[in-house]
Amino acid sequence: MKTNVYSISIRFLSQALVIVLFSCVQLLAQTNISGTVTDDKKIPMPGATVTVKGTTTGVTTDVNGKYAISSDANAILSFSFIGYKVQEVAVAGRSVINVELDAQSQNLDDVVIVAYGSQSKHNVTGAVQTVNQKELKDIPASQLTQKLQGKLAGVQINQTTGIPGQGMSVRIRGQASISAGSEPLYVVDGFPITGNIANINPDEIETISVLKDASSTSLYGSRAANGVVIVTTKRAKAGTSTISVSAYTGIQQIPQKGRPDMMNATEFAQFKKEVAIENGQTVPDIFQNPEQYGEGTNWYDAVTRSASIQNYSVSFNSSKDKFSTSVVAGYFKQNGVLLNSDYSRYSLRINTDYKFNDKVKVGFNAAPTFSSNHTPQSDGIWYNSPSIVQSSLLTSPLAPYKNADGSIPLNTNGYGTADGPNWYNQVQVVKNKARNSGLLANGFIEIEPINGLTYKSSINIDLGNSVSDYFYPSTAGNVFNAPNESDVSRINASHGNSLGYSWLWENTLSYQKSIGEHQFDILGGYTSQTAHSETGSFSATGFPDNKVQTFNAAKTITGGTDIQDWTLLSYVGRVNYNFKQKYILSAAIRRDGSSKFGVDKRWGNFPSVSAGWIISDEAFMSNIKAVSFLKLRASYGVIGNNNVGNYTQYASVVATNNPVGNQYVSGKSIAGLNNTALGWENTKELDLGVDINFLNNRINFGYDYYHKTTDALLYTVDIPISSGFFNFATNIGKLAFWGHEFTLSSQNLRGNLTWNTDFNISFNKNKALALGTANAAIFGDNTITEVGKPLGQLYALEWLGVYKDQADFDSSPRYAGAEVGTVKFKDVNGDGIVTNDDRDKTVVGNSAPKAIFGITNSFTYKNFDLSIVGAGAFGNKIINVSERFTTNLDGTFNVLKGVSQRWRSEEDPGAGIYGKSKANTTGYERDWSSSKFIYNANYFTIKNITLGYQVGLKENKYIHGLRVYTSIQHAFVFTKYPGGNPEVSAAGGLFSGSDYTTYPVPRTFTLGINFNL
Amino acid sequence: MKFKLFILGALLSSCSDDFLTKVPETVVSAADFYKTESDFQQAIVGLYNPLRTLYGTGLADAGAWSMGEMRSDNTTFSFNAGNRGYADREYVDLFTDDANSGATSNKYNNNYIIIGRANQVLRTIDAAAFDETQKNNFKGQALFLRAFCYFDLVQYYGDVPLALIPPTSFEQTSLPRSPKADVYKQIIADATLAASLLPDPSKQIKGYVANGAAYALLGNVHLVLKQWTEAENALTKVQGYSLMSDYAAVFDPNNKNNVESIFEVQYLDEPTAGSASNFAYNFLPILADPGVIPGFPSGNTNSYAGWNTPTPDLINIYDQSDKRKAASIGFYNGEGYTNRPYIKKFTHGAKIAPNTNDNWPVYRYAEVLLMLAEAQNEQGKATALANLNAVHAHSRTGLAPIASTGQAELRELILKERQIELAFENKRWLDLVRSGKAVAIMNAQGAKIRANPEAYYYPKGISPVSGSYTVTESKLLFPIPQRELRLNPDIEQNPGY
Repeated sequence: MKTNVYSISIRFLSQALVIVLFSCVQLLAQTNISGTVTDDKKIPMPGATVTVKGTTTGVTTDVNGKYAISSDANAILSFSFIGYKVQEVAVAGRSVINVELDAQSQNLDDVVIVAYGSQSKHNVTGAVQTVNQKELKDIPASQLTQKLQGKLAGVQINQTTGIPGQGMSVRIRGQASISAGSEPLYVVDGFPITGNIANINPDEIETISVLKDASSTSLYGSRAANGVVIVTTKRAKAGTSTISVSAYTGIQQIPQKGRPDMMNATEFAQFKKEVAIENGQTVPDIFQNPEQYGEGTNWYDAVTRSASIQNYSVSFNSSKDKFSTSVVAGYFKQNGVLLNSDYSRYSLRINTDYKFNDKVKVGFNAAPTFSSNHTPQSDGIWYNSPSIVQSSLLTSPLAPYKNADGSIPLNTNGYGTADGPNWYNQVQVVKNKARNSGLLANGFIEIEPINGLTYKSSINIDLGNSVSDYFYPSTAGNVFNAPNESDVSRINASHGNSLGYSWLWENTLSYQKSIGEHQFDILGGYTSQTAHSETGSFSATGFPDNKVQTFNAAKTITGGTDIQDWTLLSYVGRVNYNFKQKYILSAAIRRDGSSKFGVDKRWGNFPSVSAGWIISDEAFMSNIKAVSFLKLRASYGVIGNNNVGNYTQYASVVATNNPVGNQYVSGKSIAGLNNTALGWENTKELDLGVDINFLNNRINFGYDYYHKTTDALLYTVDIPISSGFFNFATNIGKLAFWGHEFTLSSQNLRGNLTWNTDFNISFNKNKALALGTANAAIFGDNTITEVGKPLGQLYALEWLGVYKDQADFDSSPRYAGAEVGTVKFKDVNGDGIVTNDDRDKTVVGNSAPKAIFGITNSFTYKNFDLSIVGAGAFGNKIINVSERFTTNLDGTFNVLKGVSQRWRSEEDPGAGIYGKSKANTTGYERDWSSSKFIYNANYFTIKNITLGYQVGLKENKYIHGLRVYTSIQHAFVFTKYPGGNPEVSAAGGLFSGSDYTTYPVPRTFTLGINFNL
Repeated sequence: MKFKLFILGALLSSCSDDFLTKVPETVVSAADFYKTESDFQQAIVGLYNPLRTLYGTGLADAGAWSMGEMRSDNTTFSFNAGNRGYADREYVDLFTDDANSGATSNKYNNNYIIIGRANQVLRTIDAAAFDETQKNNFKGQALFLRAFCYFDLVQYYGDVPLALIPPTSFEQTSLPRSPKADVYKQIIADATLAASLLPDPSKQIKGYVANGAAYALLGNVHLVLKQWTEAENALTKVQGYSLMSDYAAVFDPNNKNNVESIFEVQYLDEPTAGSASNFAYNFLPILADPGVIPGFPSGNTNSYAGWNTPTPDLINIYDQSDKRKAASIGFYNGEGYTNRPYIKKFTHGAKIAPNTNDNWPVYRYAEVLLMLAEAQNEQGKATALANLNAVHAHSRTGLAPIASTGQAELRELILKERQIELAFENKRWLDLVRSGKAVAIMNAQGAKIRANPEAYYYPKGISPVSGSYTVTESKLLFPIPQRELRLNPDIEQNPGY
């Protein structure tokens, strides 16, 4: 079959080539033109682009803003510069043309990249927001999504952990699914990638379009429900030839705010002394005189550091005659603020276009990357071992991490906390590293046989390969499990590798036609995509010592390999129509067939319609001068989510071996139920929007209302075990999401000092309309989702302090084990007994923010520029699960300073927050999740402050446009949340809102430089 | 050109079904299984597999010993002041357990997993074509295990959902609780049929159940239902087994599936298989290095341990000359412990910590003799005493025969003999329940512990939590797991939880 496809396509392409080769190029008389390009203050503009319209001829202005070009005497010259309005001037026989470019606020003629093409911003009827590289370039971050924080309305981008190169969560319009994920689809240069967007060097990116509503995403069909992020990489501009260099280097530090306030050595010794006394035990000698210890070891400081970050990228762009190429080479290296953690990436992108003639264009893009990281297992609760950040905090401050003689102790036993390792050593001796290489490449041919009709065919490939290695030496250890170097049976290692590729073949035909004042733009296409991955994961034990860490030193190796495949076959179609550029209609459809779904539900249709009306172009608006632009938009569409396992539809029989006597015998058992009707999640979305620009586009305001319902959710629904099975993979339930998004951008000041503000805020809400078996609530670790209520509400016992005295105890409902001085909870169901289950657990907060917002202020004064980006959220709560252990009363762990204010007696009840330390009474306060650990998670973070200076290098032959800047990333976090990071949980889903301790997000100071050669 | 694209599209869609069909390469699909003798051979092995978890695998889990022994007066736990993370396992002992208890879901879930797999086998095996003898053997095992699991469920939970065919749709996955009587009816039918289909022990591979197991189960069921004649009938058909000459040898992993063993849960300490047992580690005192106990390798602390610790009350009922005492209970001195008892019966060391090779005895011939004695005594038959003495005065115990005595007294002696002979084999709690003594004995036990916590392994100054050992009739059943209640609105919790 494949051969058939290819032979047909080759025949077809060769015929097309023959047609275009016969078309000929007209030669016309040329004339030389020169002049100067200045801005509106008559300051010469170096680096402006001058092109002859409709040709590939073009030049850039020199340091004095001068240019020289030759063209046909009747040609039109186009002058452009980023941030300025494009100006087109007819040559009309002149030989000197001087041009003044006007700074633009928001150019409605901007081209916006949309699904399968581009559109003028004026004509866009969906909810699409774009960001260009200029707004992102100074932000010192390894990942594209980090740079987008605060820029997009209705898009919540959280940095959930500070692990270098990881931890970004992106959620468009509060999107949530029970189990099918909420991350958007990333499309790079038209290719829905299967690899990780974090592997792409952000310096390669020209623009990003975020498609939010169903009409703009429906051409991505069964993968569109979470929204689509279209990334377009840099290509050389016609007529230019530049080499630019950008580099920054900096230092990352953990801000003081957010560091846990643990007891120091004196305080901890005092605590241990008191616990012993309160339990009628002899005070161990080491706690007899707490004052002798002073501060002791600050374990947080011991395992963290200040760390460097650096980024270099060199890009070369050239577009002369028929050939255009853009090369970006990058190197990024971030050392982590946790010891032994780092991330580095080498990347290269080559985008090349060749125009045979005005009918045929071909292009080849290739972007290889290589990244590597060391990632200690830093995050999580201590029992999800090793969770270095929390585990180290729980260690006795009496224990040294370095001995006086400089030697490194292996363990921290005997200092009052649970036996465990010296974390300063642990974090460094455990190896956990990964290396990834990838290649994103495509080739395309574009043919325009007749005016307006374009055929495009592309082949795309996404190739990824990764290898990971873990080695746990006998010197490592864990909480309750101190290292024992001689016990080599503890040594273990694991190794994982994966090879994956995805290819996409796409054919589209588009036709643009104007008939009078009617404009049509029609698209039809066919695409097929396959993805394949092979993974292996192996573990090894039986190492003789810690010396050789590869598997060849191991006695026992276990593991297995896996193969995964999926295919997707699709047809796309779209019609855009407008009348007088004033009344705009668009209809689109995608038909997807997917291997992931049961035979009874393999194909799905995803249609959408949208309309726009440019009211400001109506005659009746011409008198309202204040309004320079007014557009109403409306759209409705159906989109899907296909994030389900590749073989979920099949009931499989799995190995279930068992011993019989002294033999280990092969056995099998059925592992689930078949579902031939398994299909995609279905989202129907309505969007109503308005765009208004005031005062000659100086103030731009946008508003969108959306409402979407998702049903047939992909969910492996829990079923009663009396069926013999725990769950059943099916489509079930219904969720609703709605919200309001506002954007405002304003040029507050113009002139010498300019000041622009971009502000966005969005209010998102959701509700479960139907759920799984018997509409049974869906529970997360600390969450509940019930029909008729918002998703993923925090669910725990309601905390009422402590039973402060006998009277309080006698008059209050109790639980088995309650005593005067122990934690007190509310008897929610009023049965007189407090139970740690559904009877008394209740909703104690919402994990989804009421609003998320971002604000960017940018200033320029002469050669200086300053920009300040902020982002925040409010109205959500976080349950700080970590605190259950950092306030543990039984003396096994080090605790927060506040624990000293615990209940000691009726006469000395403390702050009313912490109960007594009597053995066998402390577990309820620690182990029963309650509202005690719930906090407001409102925050506002100054994500980035950048101050830049454009160095005037007059008449320098070699360096143009030298700019230096300094920047602070993650500058200030304003929050009352006491945990480390208010963004810790990807808020708003069914299972979010819990803080299990994560790698700290550092503040980064950088110095950077950009220049062109 | 449009025409050509159209052709292209048409060609592609004609083969799109192939293009869009991707079946898993790394597992067998259920539609292709349950066809051949080898398939069923493997499916039967898969049936036995969850028994390992049911009886106790995993260092932090509560095996059947938790509800079968720790709930009773035979054993309790050593209070672990240094690590309260395993406190959930105490609740069953303290009678403070609720629907979230790990013990109750372990028992409930694993029984139903086995039942589900048995239903799958029984549903498909008749349509498969292979040797009838083999087919009967497999069917008999599936029926036995289904009956055995329902018997476990009905004794611990009362009315339970009675699933007998595998669900084919989402709607069929929720069943209401069936009355106990219906469940027992099915158990008796399955066990009876299993007994007729299964081969004699001499013809069965050791480790799989033979007809003796089905008769033993049937006898046990009738005993619980106080159907003494039927019990005696079934139990007399348990043939082909005999008592081992040495009591300790019965439990030695070197003698797995010995002549006395009718049904035991199979474990194997094969290092890569993950099929080892480790309850022995759980039953030891908490030790910095379990290597101090003979047979165990030096290694990490078993800070999760200290469970199923024999009570002073149990230790005291042994006759001083009873050789079974030393074989059943060990005492450790050191690390701050003085004569701390631990279960020795299942303690045979390990090659690699914490993987032991011990099997768990479920039915052995000694119990059959005691059940027979009980069934006969209740019918006033004199043969009861001989069957009791066959166990009590076997040369391996070193005890003299019990002289002739009255029916009521003999009933007590049989119960006591069961407590000793079958100590730690998950029999005691159910014996207390069916003899009607559970409420009185366990309340008294609670009072004893409260009066002297240190004698029951509490550290000085710590005593059982308030509200513990409040034993009422409703505590004779365990709570239905919370998960099941959430998912099945037709199911109501047992009273008292």
